[in-house]
Amino acid sequence: MTGEGPAVSLAAVTKRFGDLEAVRALDLEINRGEFFSIIGPSGCGKTTTLRMIAGFEQPTEGTIHVGGRDVTRVRPYRRSVNTVFQSYALFPHLDVWENIAFGLREARRPRDEIASRVADAIKLVRLEGREHARPNQLSGGQQQRVALARALVNQPDVLLLDEPLGALDLKLRAELQTQLKDLHRAVGVTFCYVTHDQGEAFSMSDRVAVMNNGVLEQVGAPEEIYRRPRTAFVADFVGAANRLQGRIREADGPGRYIAEIDGIGSRRVGGPDGLRVGTSVLIVVRPEELTVRAEGFRASVVDVAFLGAQRTVRLHSTSIGDLVATTPGAIDAPGRGSELFLDFDDGQAWAVPA
Amino acid sequence: MNIRRHPLSAALSAVVIAFLWLPLVAVIIGSFDRNALLTTFTGATGHWYDQAVHDPNVRSGFETTLIIAVCSMLLSLVVALSGALWWRRAPRRARAIYDALVYARIVVPEVVFATALFFLFLKVHFALGIPAIIVGHAVLNSAYSTLIIQARLIGTDPALEEAAADLGATPWRVFRRVTLATLMPAIIAAGLLAFTFSLDDVVTSYFLQGTAQSPLPIVLLGMIRFRITPEINAVGVFVMVLTVALMSGAVGVLAGAGRVGRGNRSRRRSRLLGLYQG
Repeated sequence: MTGEGPAVSLAAVTKRFGDLEAVRALDLEINRGEFFSIIGPSGCGKTTTLRMIAGFEQPTEGTIHVGGRDVTRVRPYRRSVNTVFQSYALFPHLDVWENIAFGLREARRPRDEIASRVADAIKLVRLEGREHARPNQLSGGQQQRVALARALVNQPDVLLLDEPLGALDLKLRAELQTQLKDLHRAVGVTFCYVTHDQGEAFSMSDRVAVMNNGVLEQVGAPEEIYRRPRTAFVADFVGAANRLQGRIREADGPGRYIAEIDGIGSRRVGGPDGLRVGTSVLIVVRPEELTVRAEGFRASVVDVAFLGAQRTVRLHSTSIGDLVATTPGAIDAPGRGSELFLDFDDGQAWAVPA
Repeated sequence: MNIRRHPLSAALSAVVIAFLWLPLVAVIIGSFDRNALLTTFTGATGHWYDQAVHDPNVRSGFETTLIIAVCSMLLSLVVALSGALWWRRAPRRARAIYDALVYARIVVPEVVFATALFFLFLKVHFALGIPAIIVGHAVLNSAYSTLIIQARLIGTDPALEEAAADLGATPWRVFRRVTLATLMPAIIAAGLLAFTFSLDDVVTSYFLQGTAQSPLPIVLLGMIRFRITPEINAVGVFVMVLTVALMSGAVGVLAGAGRVGRGNRSRRRSRLLGLYQG
C-alpha cells in the first residue's frame, strides 16, 4: 500500500435510496492492519457502508479514501479492495483453483506467478487436494475458505467481509472466528468486518463501530464500547444491561458524576464527558456487576437459568423493577421466590443520556 | 373402486398410446416399403431414402429450412438474452408487461400471429420470403427461449457479477466470464429449442414465404397433396430422428445444468422441464 494515513477513511458520507437515508453524515477511519468491525441491527446502514467502500454503491454525498487515494467515483474493479460475500458468490462454473485464480487472471499476471500464488492461498486456507472440486461439492465452511482465499490472493489493501459466517451453524462459526483471527494476524491485511452479532465482532476485532438508523453511534475497542457506551442504544445493543432511571446531581471530575438513581439513591457513576447537572440519564449496570450482598436493595428471585460457567438470575424489585444478575455457576443457586439483597460497587455503573 | 386399477383405464391408456405412436410407426414402416403405392407391405428396401436424398425438391427445401432455422435461432437468442438481462433489473411494472408479452406469444394461436405478421410486412413493404420467415419464427420462438434463460437467471446469485467486478473484471469481462458463462447451459437449450420449433413450422412459413423456395415441411405438404409415396415417409423419418436428437440434447443440457448454481435445483429443473411437458 502506498501513502500514509488510514487504510480507509470516510468523510461526511451520506447515502440516500430515494427517500430512504441509509447512511447519514458518516465519518470513519479504519487504521492500517487492524481488524475493524461494523455492527448494528439489520437496516442500520452497515452493509451499505461496506458496499460503498467496495464501490458497488456510490455515496450521495461525501468522499471515500482507500490507502490515501480518493476512490469516491472509482469503479469496483479499479479499487484495491476485495470482498468476501455473505453468499460467498463463488463462481459455480469454475473449480476451486479457477475461482481463486480469477482476480490474478483479470490482472494479467504471468502464468507461473498465478500458479504459485494460488497454491499459497490454497495452503493458507488449508484446502490442499480440493483444487479441482466445484463449489457445490464443498461444505459451507470450505466454500467460505475458498471465498477468503479468492479475495486474499490479490493482496488487497483492505479485505471487506459481509457477514461471512452468517450461513454457518454455531459450532462452525466459533471455529472459523478463531481461524479468521489467526488468518488476519498471518496476512497483515486490514480487515473490515460487518455483522449483526456483537459477540462475534467483540471476539475478533481491534476496534468496533456501532451503527443505528444510518448513524454512527460509537467507535472504540470492544471493551470500551461495552464498559463505556456513549448512548442508550449502544449500551443495549452490545449486551444485556440493567437500565435504571435517574438524573445527574453533580459533576465529580472528568467523566465522573454523582447521580440520583430512582429507588436506590445517590451514587457515584461514570459517564461520557459533558453531561449537564439535572440531565435525565439511564444508569447502565451490567448483570455481572450486580451481586448478592449482605445489604443493598431488596429483590425477589423470579427465575434462575443455569448456563454452565454461570447462572443468569432474573429478579424483581418493587422499588426499581425487573433486574438481571449473573452469579458463578459453581455456587448454589438462590431459590425461586427467595428474597435477597443486591448492590453494585461505586463507579461500576455508567450513565448515558436517556 | 380404484380408477387407476380398473381394466377400462388400462384399455383407455393403451388406445391413447396407440393413437400417439401408431402414426409414427406407420411412417417408419412406410419408409421402407417396397410397394410404391403403400397398399400392402411387400418387403423392405432402402431405395426411398436414396431417392429422397437425391430429390432436388427435398434438397432445396431442406436447405431453406436449415438457413431459416439457424438464422431464426440466432435472432431468437439475441432477443431472448438481451430481453432477459434487461428484465432482471427492470421496474416491477415493466417486468409484468414484458412477461405478459412473452406469454402472449406462447398462448395466442400461431395462425393469428402469422396473419398479423403477413399484414404488417405488407404495410411496411418488407418483402415476403426467407428473411420474413426468419423474423416470423424468431418472434414466436424467442418467447420460449426467454422463459428458459429467465429461469436460469432467477436461480443465479446476483452477487456473482459483483464478485467478478470486485476481483478486477471490467464490465465486458464480467459479462463474458460470469454472466454468459453461467447462462451458457440455458442459452444452448434455448437455442436448440428455437431451432427445433423452426424446423417443423408450417403455419408461419406458409403465410410469409411469398414466392420464395418453400422450406421442407411445406414441400412435404405439397407432395402429399399430389400423391403419398414412401419417399415422403423417408423424409418424415429423417426429420423425426433429427428432432428427437435435438430435443434430447436440450433436455440433457438443462438437466446437467441443474447441478451448478445456487438456488433450489430441483424446483428450477422441474420448471424448465415443465416446458416440454406442458
